[in-house]
Amino acid sequence: MTRYGMVIDLKRCYGCYACAMACKAKNRTPPGVFWARVLKGETGKYPTVVRQALPVLCMHCDDPSCQTVCPTGATQTAPGGIVVVEKEKCIGCSYCKMACPYGARYMVEEWESYFPDGAPRSTYEEYVKKEWEEKSGIGVSTKCDFCMERLPEGRLPACVNACPANARTFGDLDDPLSEISMLIKKGRGAVLQPELGNDPKVYYLPPR
Amino acid sequence: MVATNSTRVKEDVWIPTCCGQCYCMCGIKVRRQDGIVTEIEGNPDSPTGRGSICPKGLAGPALLYDPYRVNYPLKRTNPEKGLGVDPKWQRITWEEALETVVAKLKAAHEKDPRGVYFQATTTQASECRFGVIGFMKGYGTPNYWVSGGGLHCGNGAHFMNGIMHMAWSIIPDFAHANYTMNFGCSKGHGAGHSAVMNATQVAEARFRGSKNIVFDPFQSAQASKAHEWVPIRVGTDGALALGIVNALLNIHGIWDEEYLAYKTNGPYLIRPSDGRYIRDKATNKPLVWDLVDKRPKVFDDKSVNRIEYEDTAHEVALMGTFTVQGVEGCKPGFELVKEHVKKYTPEYVSKITWIPAETIVRIAKEFGEAAEIGSTVTVETSKGPKKIPKRPVGTHFFRGSQGHVNSGWTCLSIDMINHMVGAADTYGAAMGLGAAVCGGFPRDDAPDPEKPKPWQMPYPCPDGLMVAGAWVYDHLPYPLHEPRPPQRLDLHDMFPTSIYNAFTIMSDNWFDLLEQFKVPYRPDVMINFGSNSIMTMGNAEVVAENFLKKFNFIFSFQLYITEFEDAVADIILPDTCYLERYTPAVSWPSTFSHPQGEDDWGWTVRQPAVEPLFERRDFNVVMIDIMKRLGMSDKYYKGLNETVPIRYGGPLEEKNMLKDDGSREYTWEEISDHLLRDRFGDKHGLEYFKKHGVLTWPKRKEDVYWKWFQDVRVPVYFEYFIDGGEKITKLCESFGANDFLDWSRFKPLADWYPCPTHDEALPQEYDMYTFYWRAIIHCNSLTQQNPWLDELSQEDPYVYALQIHRDTAAKKGIKEGDAIWLENPEGHRVKGWVALTDGIEPNHIAVAAVAGHWCDYQPIAKDKGTFFNDLVEMDKAHTDPLTLNQDICCRVKIYKAE
Repeated sequence: MTRYGMVIDLKRCYGCYACAMACKAKNRTPPGVFWARVLKGETGKYPTVVRQALPVLCMHCDDPSCQTVCPTGATQTAPGGIVVVEKEKCIGCSYCKMACPYGARYMVEEWESYFPDGAPRSTYEEYVKKEWEEKSGIGVSTKCDFCMERLPEGRLPACVNACPANARTFGDLDDPLSEISMLIKKGRGAVLQPELGNDPKVYYLPPR
Repeated sequence: MVATNSTRVKEDVWIPTCCGQCYCMCGIKVRRQDGIVTEIEGNPDSPTGRGSICPKGLAGPALLYDPYRVNYPLKRTNPEKGLGVDPKWQRITWEEALETVVAKLKAAHEKDPRGVYFQATTTQASECRFGVIGFMKGYGTPNYWVSGGGLHCGNGAHFMNGIMHMAWSIIPDFAHANYTMNFGCSKGHGAGHSAVMNATQVAEARFRGSKNIVFDPFQSAQASKAHEWVPIRVGTDGALALGIVNALLNIHGIWDEEYLAYKTNGPYLIRPSDGRYIRDKATNKPLVWDLVDKRPKVFDDKSVNRIEYEDTAHEVALMGTFTVQGVEGCKPGFELVKEHVKKYTPEYVSKITWIPAETIVRIAKEFGEAAEIGSTVTVETSKGPKKIPKRPVGTHFFRGSQGHVNSGWTCLSIDMINHMVGAADTYGAAMGLGAAVCGGFPRDDAPDPEKPKPWQMPYPCPDGLMVAGAWVYDHLPYPLHEPRPPQRLDLHDMFPTSIYNAFTIMSDNWFDLLEQFKVPYRPDVMINFGSNSIMTMGNAEVVAENFLKKFNFIFSFQLYITEFEDAVADIILPDTCYLERYTPAVSWPSTFSHPQGEDDWGWTVRQPAVEPLFERRDFNVVMIDIMKRLGMSDKYYKGLNETVPIRYGGPLEEKNMLKDDGSREYTWEEISDHLLRDRFGDKHGLEYFKKHGVLTWPKRKEDVYWKWFQDVRVPVYFEYFIDGGEKITKLCESFGANDFLDWSRFKPLADWYPCPTHDEALPQEYDMYTFYWRAIIHCNSLTQQNPWLDELSQEDPYVYALQIHRDTAAKKGIKEGDAIWLENPEGHRVKGWVALTDGIEPNHIAVAAVAGHWCDYQPIAKDKGTFFNDLVEMDKAHTDPLTLNQDICCRVKIYKAE
């Protein structure tokens, strides 16, 4: 069976935010919503200090806490192991948001424009507002879905497609010969917070 | 038929075109659904990007549909101008706007056409080459500048890279380099030309273990990814580079004899009395010393000249003292270089740069050894397999290291490291980005089958030095311009080097200078295309008062009402953005932004993804209209015809020239079509490009690694600078301007010169060095209004902050988030908010990008970040005499804001 996953090579990544922007543009996420996000931090003391970027997204766990706590069954695991929200079933209780150890859930109570109040709304904004309301929804939990609607067309998730450093690889974790499986094996791929036992399907290759 | 809900065809198309959010101009595909741009992706068919794209490019829809775009022509109704004055904008019709500007241009033309000054943006460089250049040639004005761009980015870098590599920038051949050194730039990490391709290559290089050493005062994107970050005092990169050259030559004894002997002027014999070449009496050619025949020969004598690597030739002397034509003590230029750099001892350089002496010596050794001097590879050229040197090392640099009063020599010194080890334009080495070497698009019906267009090849000057066969500008990087009495308002035609200057036009005695240098006219009308020079040059008050307010009338093609329009423009013409316009040549001139490397050549065009929204009109369409109304269409067409050969690789065929005899008028699309058909044949006119967006063809390996296939040399001893210096000195003296600038910097050997920042006599309270860096999610000032990029800037810990070392801040009682002032010795100050970090040399403060907007019409950009340029002085003391580059590092005192 196909089990979709992603590898992010932190050695290749230089923190340019193309993934975050590609996700925003494709998924029409309103202000403050980052289904794909880039965290930046600094470790060490001058001059041996290192700044590091850490791109994050929904980890599409095999054992997702968000699904366990969902009282209505809105959070489900779709074919391919993609964790999705059925917005019609979601009651906006935010349990999933609290349960997710990776901060991948976003709730939008009211659609907001990127432009200040009073600015005329463009046809584009009308379009993206409608799309957000129809596909993701207001007052419900939203998150990355690996751009699953693109997959049957043979298109990669937007964040993977955009990355100038080719730091992201998407593929089938169950296929031992897939590029992603090989990368994890050869490149010491690891998941974030493995001790929580969620079995994420997003792996990271070490930065150095 | 008007589309209604019932008749509308469900539309869903992808349009191949080019990004325009910065000067990299990556190939993109734009999705249009029911008339709305809904997605932007990289175009995998385009060698510029190959399907990847940066966040700026992805944020295109937020520019296209920004409700704050200027959508209708506007006129200023308040005659008063200046910072903070309300222009009282009033909407007018296009007809009124055009009538007004045409009347002003007509009147100006009658007075003196040279009084018209074109100011343009670097971001839309490909548009400038038509509308701006065509206008200047057609209307008859020499006055043009790219505000900010030329002086902040590349007066030094582009000039020097042009001389040494025939390209706007240099970048290591990351696909094969094993050891690279980066002096103050983000190339390969999201910035610089061909940013996406470079980033892809650099990520791959990291993956395979290629080492990168970064010299930078703070931990930039590239420093954070480097094998080694070496903090350096701002403005001292040139000293470091000379220290490395010295360590290579005089400590480690590493240099590439073959390269220096046959591909540089290193063996040219220099007369001791005046530092000039000893020339052959009969041919006037420079002489070299043949070590086999033990006598001097002209440099290009077959017995001592190697063009291809596999050619054989006698060895020539790179060192030694010879008596030639009865002159004793003649030495090869290389030996003079070697002697000259001895003063840059590791200890001396350490004092200047604050880098430990042993680090300098070690890095020089690592670099020299990694160069693998003597190694070769065989590449498959169009004439079969050929052996060429493999030199898998390279240095590169850009604005950070070159934005100083020592700009010219700093650029040369950094690149000299490459040339000492033969690592230039060969496999693995430092490469000219999109260097002007292209064997043309192969087609059966090429009018000249020997030189299919776009054909660009270098050729040697009589002294054997490389002359570029194509360039971004009419004037080439080499030879030097002949200094002549100035006709330009910035006196620029007087100077032997560089592209633009600021110190003349920004001085508080600009008109006195014009008087002194007998320039007989004064500024009258300014046309602005997309630039916000109030924010991109230097101190805004100085730019407005000393320069812009001297114009009687200013009209501006613009996307927004920026600080520039608000302060000084009389009329704003709403321009289209890159998603609403045609541009027939985007990735060319290749020297400007074509990716370096083995991937294909690609000629990309820009085409509208949507028709212009509201009343926006494309700059180039309007320029055609204006010229028609002025009755100058024929001259405009003639001007456009003239712009083609040097920039786009070869002369226009007669049949494809725009008729300039008044017999025809052309639309912008027709003009575009003419150019494309001329370059690529009738099958590849605009219709072809509308469908495909890009035309690609394979790069010949001899065009990628061109060094050992071309009969040209580059200088390591800048003999011809002596001449340039003498001429400019004499010319200035003829106007009574004896100490105009320090022309002694026109000399044959490199040196490092301190910036005003390094002045030890500055009062102690100015104890911090500050500089600006380019955040990779922004380009120039435009992107600051993009709300998606603004949001990412807020996500990032440093884009809107002043980076200060946490120990320094603690000593000064400054905390995270504090608002502080930075004040320079001239009394100019800027405010910002502190981010504490360990990732900066403790005496420095890093400020990002052209932030800190204040104009109400860009509410997203307003009040975000710090307006660094207010600290930048544009006087002689902050100008490099060699390249007229501006210094942009400052010494400041800092104190808490109330």
